[in-house]
Amino acid sequence: MHDQIEKYLSKLVGHGLVEGPQDACLYALDDELFSNRPQVPKAVRALFDRLNINGLIVAKPEETRWSIMRRLAETGGNPVTPSDSESVTFLHDIPVVGSLHSEDLFEVLARRKGCIVEDAGVVATGTVCLEQAFVTFSSICFATFVKYFADLIGKPGDSCALTGRTREDRAKALKALETARPKGRPAGLADEIPSDEAGIVSAMDRAGKEMVRLGLVDSFFGNISIRTGGSISISQTGASLDELQGCIDRACMDGSSSCEITSSSELFSHVRIYELTGARVILHGHPRCAVILSLAEGPIPFGETRYVLGVPVVSGEVGAGSRGIVHTLPAAMEGSLEAIVAGHGVFAASRSSVREAFERLLSVENRCYEECARRIKAIDERRQP
Amino acid sequence: MASSYRLTCLFVDLKTATSRRVVLGEDVSMARLGGRGIGVHFLAAAPTIAPLHEDNPLVFATGPLVGSRIPSSGRMVISSFSPLTNTVCTSVTGGDFAYGMRKAGIDVIHLSGKAPVRSVVFIEDDRVSMEKDPFPDDVGLELVFERLSSPGRSTAAIGEAAIKGCLYSSIMVDGCFASGRGGLGLVMASKNVRAVSIRGSGPSRRIPVDEHEEDRARSDIVRLFDASPFVRGRSGIAASGTAALIDLVAERRMMPTANFRRTYFEGYRAFSANAFARTFSPRRHACRGCPIACKGKAAGPIPEYETIAHFGALNENDDIASIVEANRLCNSLGMDTISAASTIACLAEIRGVRFQGEGLVSMVRRIVHAGTSGELLRQGSLRMARALGAPETSMSVKGLELPAYDPRGAYGMAIAYATSTRGGCHLRAYPIASEILRKPVATDRFTFSGKARMVKIAEDLCTAVDTIGACRFALIAASLEEYARGVSAVTGIPLGQHDLMRRGEEVYSLEISINAARGFTSEDDTLPERFFREAGTPGPGFETPAIDKVSFEQALERYRRIRASCGAAALSTAESPCTTR
Repeated sequence: MHDQIEKYLSKLVGHGLVEGPQDACLYALDDELFSNRPQVPKAVRALFDRLNINGLIVAKPEETRWSIMRRLAETGGNPVTPSDSESVTFLHDIPVVGSLHSEDLFEVLARRKGCIVEDAGVVATGTVCLEQAFVTFSSICFATFVKYFADLIGKPGDSCALTGRTREDRAKALKALETARPKGRPAGLADEIPSDEAGIVSAMDRAGKEMVRLGLVDSFFGNISIRTGGSISISQTGASLDELQGCIDRACMDGSSSCEITSSSELFSHVRIYELTGARVILHGHPRCAVILSLAEGPIPFGETRYVLGVPVVSGEVGAGSRGIVHTLPAAMEGSLEAIVAGHGVFAASRSSVREAFERLLSVENRCYEECARRIKAIDERRQP
Repeated sequence: MASSYRLTCLFVDLKTATSRRVVLGEDVSMARLGGRGIGVHFLAAAPTIAPLHEDNPLVFATGPLVGSRIPSSGRMVISSFSPLTNTVCTSVTGGDFAYGMRKAGIDVIHLSGKAPVRSVVFIEDDRVSMEKDPFPDDVGLELVFERLSSPGRSTAAIGEAAIKGCLYSSIMVDGCFASGRGGLGLVMASKNVRAVSIRGSGPSRRIPVDEHEEDRARSDIVRLFDASPFVRGRSGIAASGTAALIDLVAERRMMPTANFRRTYFEGYRAFSANAFARTFSPRRHACRGCPIACKGKAAGPIPEYETIAHFGALNENDDIASIVEANRLCNSLGMDTISAASTIACLAEIRGVRFQGEGLVSMVRRIVHAGTSGELLRQGSLRMARALGAPETSMSVKGLELPAYDPRGAYGMAIAYATSTRGGCHLRAYPIASEILRKPVATDRFTFSGKARMVKIAEDLCTAVDTIGACRFALIAASLEEYARGVSAVTGIPLGQHDLMRRGEEVYSLEISINAARGFTSEDDTLPERFFREAGTPGPGFETPAIDKVSFEQALERYRRIRASCGAAALSTAESPCTTR
C-alpha cells in the first residue's frame, strides 16, 4: 500500500496539482491504515469509520487552483456546478463544506466522490483504491479551473460576480491562465506511423507522456490510437496517458473482436474518424484553454458545427449513445484533421506521423490560450473610461 | 422530501392454502429496503433450518425502484437456504415478475409450508389461489410458460430437474430468466409448488416522491451507460450480450478450460460474440425498464457468458450449436447452467474423457433422465467427485461450482470466491469490474495488495445493489452514487451511496452470521487446491502462475479482520408477522 501512496503523492506533485508533498495527505486502508503522514487526524479516522471507503486524499491544491476554487466557492454557489463533459458525466457537481471537522462533510461524502473543504483543500475518496481518489482530486482541479475561466470569459459584464472584481483580480486571472499554457516543445515523437507492435506501443507511450508533460491532458483522461490496416491500437478506458505500457488494446476496425470492451470509450469515434479521413493516428487531449473557450462560446446545438479560430467545434456526449460525439465529431474532422468537442477536449489526427498529430493538438491549444488571454484583457479595455 | 416507506408482504401458507397481506413496520422497511435485504432478513428468523424442511421460507422480493424511471432496476431476488451448499442463498433474476408484484401492490412474497399436492399458486391482486399442477413431471418448461402466460401475467416455475431432485435446479421466470444458482428450484419443489403466477391490476409506474430528482438521476445514469465501453460500446453488452466477455477473458488467459486444468481454450473464437452474431443474428431483448438489453434471442435464447464459457471451454467443446442446445435444455429442464456444465466437466476429468458436441448435450439430458449415473450428476460436482473418490476434481467453493473467471487470473476474484456467502459465485463482489473491465478504476489483477478491503467493500456494494433491485451490469457503468439519488427521489428516504453501502454491509454480515449458525467456519473460505498447485496458461508477455497460498491466506486473514471490525450481525432479527399491522 505504501507504493500506492508514493505513486499518487508523486503524481499530485508532478502534475502540479499540489505545491509539494507537505500539502497532501494520502490514506489507504486495507486491514490497517497506511499514510504518508505519521499521525492520522481524528477527522480522517472518523471519515474511514463512517464511510465505506479505502482511499482518501486530503490536500490543498496548488495556489492558483486553490484561489480559483475559493473564489468559486464564494461566488459560484454551493455546490459548484461545472459544465465540462467529464464533470457532468462523472462528478455531477462539487459540494463545498466549511471545515474538515464539520458534520456536513459526512453527508456530502456519502453522496459525492469529493468536495471542496474551505479550511483544508479538496477531499476525495475511493471505494476501490487510492487511484479513484486521485482521479476525483484531479477532476475537481480541472473542472473548477475550466469553470472559472469559462465564466469569466463567457459571461462578461456585471452580472458575473467574477468579472465584477477589480482589475488586479483580472491581472491575477491572466497569471493563473498562464499556468494552463503548454510549456515547451514535445520531444521524442515518432516522425512516422510505426507498423510493428513494439513501435506502436513505444510511439503511443511517448506521445501520452508528452501530452501529460505539456499539460494537454490530465493523466487519466484523453486517449490515443494508431491504425495499422484493419486494426487499431488504442489506449484502454481509464488508462493514464503517462503510463500506457500494458494499457493498450488491439481492436479491429470491423468490430470483430469484443476485446475492445476495455478500450477507450471513444473507440467508435476513432473508428469513424479513420474511416472518414484516412488518418492513421489520433490524439485526444483535454487541454484547458480549448475547453474554456468552447464553453465560453455557449452551447452548440447537437449536430451543428461552429468555428473558433478556424477550428470546428461540435457538441456531443462521451461515448456512443444517441447524443454521443460519434455522431458529430468524425465529420468535423474530415477537412482539417482537428476539432474541438465543446466542454470536452481536442481531437487531432494525422495521416503521416505521430508528431504531426501532436503539433496539431498543441497548435489548437496555443491558439486557444492566446484567445482566452486576449478576451480577458478585452474586459479591461472595454471598461476604460 | 417526506418519507413513509413500508414494504407490503404477502405471507402464503402453502399447507393451508391461506395468505395474509401484511404491511411491515417502517423500521424494518427502512432498514432492509427490499430485495436481498428483506429476503435475508426473513432467513435470519430461522437460521438453522434445513433447506428442504417445509418451514424453510422461499422469499420473492422486489426493490424500491421497480416501476420507477430509474433504468435497469426491475430485478427480483429469490431467497432461501441452498440444498446444494446449505448456505444462505439469494438469487437475482430478471423478467416481469417484479412488475407483476408491483402491479399487485406487493413488495415481498413469503412462501412457507408445503402444499398437500403439487400446485400452481396464482396471485391476482389481493387474491391467492392454489390449483393442482396440471403438468406431468417431465413437462418442458416451454409448455408451462406457454400455458400459464396471458397478458400482464408473469410466472416463476420449476422444471423436471427440480422434480427429480437435482440439487442445482433453478427457478425459471418468464421462460428465459433464471434464478439459477444454489438449487432454489429444489426448495420450491420441496414445497410442492410447480409455479407461482402473478398478475396485478394496479399501475406498474411507481410515482416518485420527487419526480424532478428522479429525472436527474435517470439522465445521469443513462449518460454513464452511454459513456461505458462495456455497456454501450460498439462491442459492449448492449450490442453483443454478455458473450462480449468471451474474447477478453480468453485473451487475459483466465477462461477456465478442461475443468480448470488450463486457463485458455484455443477454440474460443468458435463461440465468441462475433460467432454468435454471424451464426444466429440474434435480436436484443431486455428486462423491462432496462435500456441496455443485454439478452439475445434468435430461435431461442442466446446463452450468457458463463454458460457459453462452461459448455465451451470448460468442456473443451468448440461446437456452438451444442452450447446453444445445452443451454436450451437447461432452461427447459430448470437447471443451473454453471453447475451443470461444471459437473459434467468434473466427470470428464475423472473418467479421462471429453464430452463435446452432441455428447455434451446428451450428458445434459442424462443429468435429469438417467438412473444411477444421473443420480450422481444431480448431486453436483462435489458430492459426485467424493462418491467417485476424486474430491479434488470438484472445482467448487462450499459446494457451489465456480463460474467462468479463473481466479489465477484475478486475485480479488480469488478472495471473493472464497468469502462468498453462497459459495463459489462471481456476483457477490464481482472484482472483475476493476481487475478486468477497469471500472470504476483499474486494479492490478495479479496482486493481493489492498484487495481484502476492496472485496469487502464490493460485497457490501453488490448486496446494496441486490437490495434496491438494480442490475449488476448497470453498476459497472454507473455507480451507487447515482442509484442512491434515484432511491431517494423515488422513496423520499434521504440516502447517499454510503447509506446504501451501510445497509449492504449489515445484510452481508447477517449472511455471514447465518452461515456461521449453520456450521460454516473460516476453513470453508478457501479455493480448490488446484489453484495453488497448478499454473494457468501463460499469455503473450505474461505468466498465469499458481496462486501463492500463503499470500492468499494472508489476504483472507486481512479480510476477516476487516469484517470483524464491522461487528457480527445478530440473528433472529426478522420481524414476526404477528407484530405487523
